[in-house]
Amino acid sequence: MFEERCFEPRMSASPPPVQVVAVIYSKIQNRSGKAAVEVKRRATQPPSEQSAAMDLKQFEADNSGSFRLASRIPDVCRTEDCCLGVDEAGRGPVLGPMVYGICFCPVSKKEELKDLKVADSKTLNEAERENLFQKLDEAQSYVGWALQILSPNMISTSMLQRTKYNLNALSHDTAIGLIQYALDSGVQLKEVYVDTVGPAEKYEEKLSQRFPGIQVTVRPKADSLFPVVSAASICAKVARDRVVKGWNFAEDLGEIDADYGSGYPNDPKTKEWLLKYLDPVFGYPQFVRFSWSTAQTLMDSKAVPVHWDDDEEDGEKAAQRQNNRSMLSYFSASAEGDRAQQTHRFFSERRLKSLKSL
Amino acid sequence: MAAKKKRTPNTQNDSWVVIAADSVTETQKPDCDPDFVKLRNPSTEEASLYLLGAGDAQLYEVKAFEEDFHSWFVGQTVQRDGKLLFVTQMDPLYLILPYMIKSGQEGKFQPVDQVVKDDEFPASSRLLRCTRSLTSLHHIAEEKEVGGLKFHRYSQERTMNWLQKKVERTIVALKKKNICVGEGVKSTTYVRVKSESDDREDTEDYLRYAHGLISEYISEELSKALLKHLGLPELKSPKETEPPSKKRKLSDKPVEAGEDYTKFNSADFARKPPKKMTAAQKTLAKVDKSGMKPMSSFFSPKTKAEKK
Repeated sequence: MFEERCFEPRMSASPPPVQVVAVIYSKIQNRSGKAAVEVKRRATQPPSEQSAAMDLKQFEADNSGSFRLASRIPDVCRTEDCCLGVDEAGRGPVLGPMVYGICFCPVSKKEELKDLKVADSKTLNEAERENLFQKLDEAQSYVGWALQILSPNMISTSMLQRTKYNLNALSHDTAIGLIQYALDSGVQLKEVYVDTVGPAEKYEEKLSQRFPGIQVTVRPKADSLFPVVSAASICAKVARDRVVKGWNFAEDLGEIDADYGSGYPNDPKTKEWLLKYLDPVFGYPQFVRFSWSTAQTLMDSKAVPVHWDDDEEDGEKAAQRQNNRSMLSYFSASAEGDRAQQTHRFFSERRLKSLKSL
Repeated sequence: MAAKKKRTPNTQNDSWVVIAADSVTETQKPDCDPDFVKLRNPSTEEASLYLLGAGDAQLYEVKAFEEDFHSWFVGQTVQRDGKLLFVTQMDPLYLILPYMIKSGQEGKFQPVDQVVKDDEFPASSRLLRCTRSLTSLHHIAEEKEVGGLKFHRYSQERTMNWLQKKVERTIVALKKKNICVGEGVKSTTYVRVKSESDDREDTEDYLRYAHGLISEYISEELSKALLKHLGLPELKSPKETEPPSKKRKLSDKPVEAGEDYTKFNSADFARKPPKKMTAAQKTLAKVDKSGMKPMSSFFSPKTKAEKK
């Protein structure tokens, strides 16, 4: 029923040795004075304030929907041909949001992005990723990024709504939305690199049709092949880490035990946490993705059963319950039903009944 | 994915969500609480729930809005039963009427408190305490006063007139509330422009609809009588309009063919003589056909003899 895979951290073949490289401020041709001022201002700020580059306050105030966050669009990107990478973070966990990131820069600056040593985020630890994000942000004269944070609540409601909207479709649409955002902002996109979601060829075809005139490349492991995808994956990962760390529980749960392990379904710590915070009536706080089968099986076995009117039922029974005539009844001689004992339609249309007892 | 969810057995809940008029609880006397009682439903003759207001001053019927998949959040609790109870005023005469009819068959004048008695539903006698009961009995019965005591006898004629008034009042209410009474399904959001002709066509629809509503409160017999009284033809039940079933009637006679096939064997079914040929056909018939295959040979399977 649910397309849930067990996610194991992808390991790239050989993790490159991490080096902390001094940041080189490349002289950019049309550098606006503003960028220089920005850089100076930030250099004088204490490190704790340095994360201001990603302002999550607005999302934290209401973390129930989808939220977009973006950097300033570098002027270069409006004039020169650009390439763009798309990647996501937090697809598999049962806890917390899924974050989609795009990163773009002029095609001519691809090499410089490599020099920043943005490697696949999976091979880095959190501190290293924060560091690299800092560098990307400092290179904002030619690198731009945008993020879409999909809250766990939004993932739950999409996947469990009446017309099912599965995670792949949600992922595709989010990616398309971000690419469209870049185009709308005037970025001269020529090449787009995307990590696979589902079958690569189909996805590639879908994106190519959606964005004619842009060369779309969909590859598995794109985040270790193309620096611009690695950069996007770092942005997404950093954003997800920060959101999860600063998660503002909308529910009144008192002191929340934040020790839930990795958040992946197969992590015993995560399971334990899920069991601990299971409410018999409401299930879980919005931090949990209800549509994950891990959460569902726990609710089915431990919580009060809840019935919805689109729960699947056997045809005959459902029809009977909804007062529909079964198709079969048209083929047999009509039984002498108690049609006379029906209430007047004024009452039946309004679902009003007399009661025999309280 | 999910196993079949089993409904937990419905435990007796002790709270309901009720919509009721203030008059239900208003009373001049202390410790006179409104009381839910079971009484005989005049239409189905089975038990139904009613409410007697404080001090039995007024009768209310209890209707439940009930749909599948509803529950209530009440304050800090969840109530599984998602019913919404409506407690609405009702004329106690409807409930008194069946008892009057029953005693009326004896054709005697009787004191009403002897008539309205039901061993099964002892609360029935409290109906007479309602403020309107005794004062409105003359709508359904003839009255006689002997020595300060009142006696009543059921009157069909009075009852019919009373019910007709009820129907007329219902029609007024239906029109005021814009309730759709036609056979067709109309969207309530579709604003219709009322024309004169519409009104005339609607009259019977309204009458029939109101009659149906009133019939919910009277016996079937009375409902039919009222239909006559209102001058409405009885509707055919849908069964009669259904096409006859396709099954063949079974009969004891042996099965016979519908047509006599033996005629083909008789002598008078001999081949007819060939028709006269036209001149062209005659000349064609004289043509030398040696070495020609007849046309039909092309369509028959090849015989072994032809293989050389």
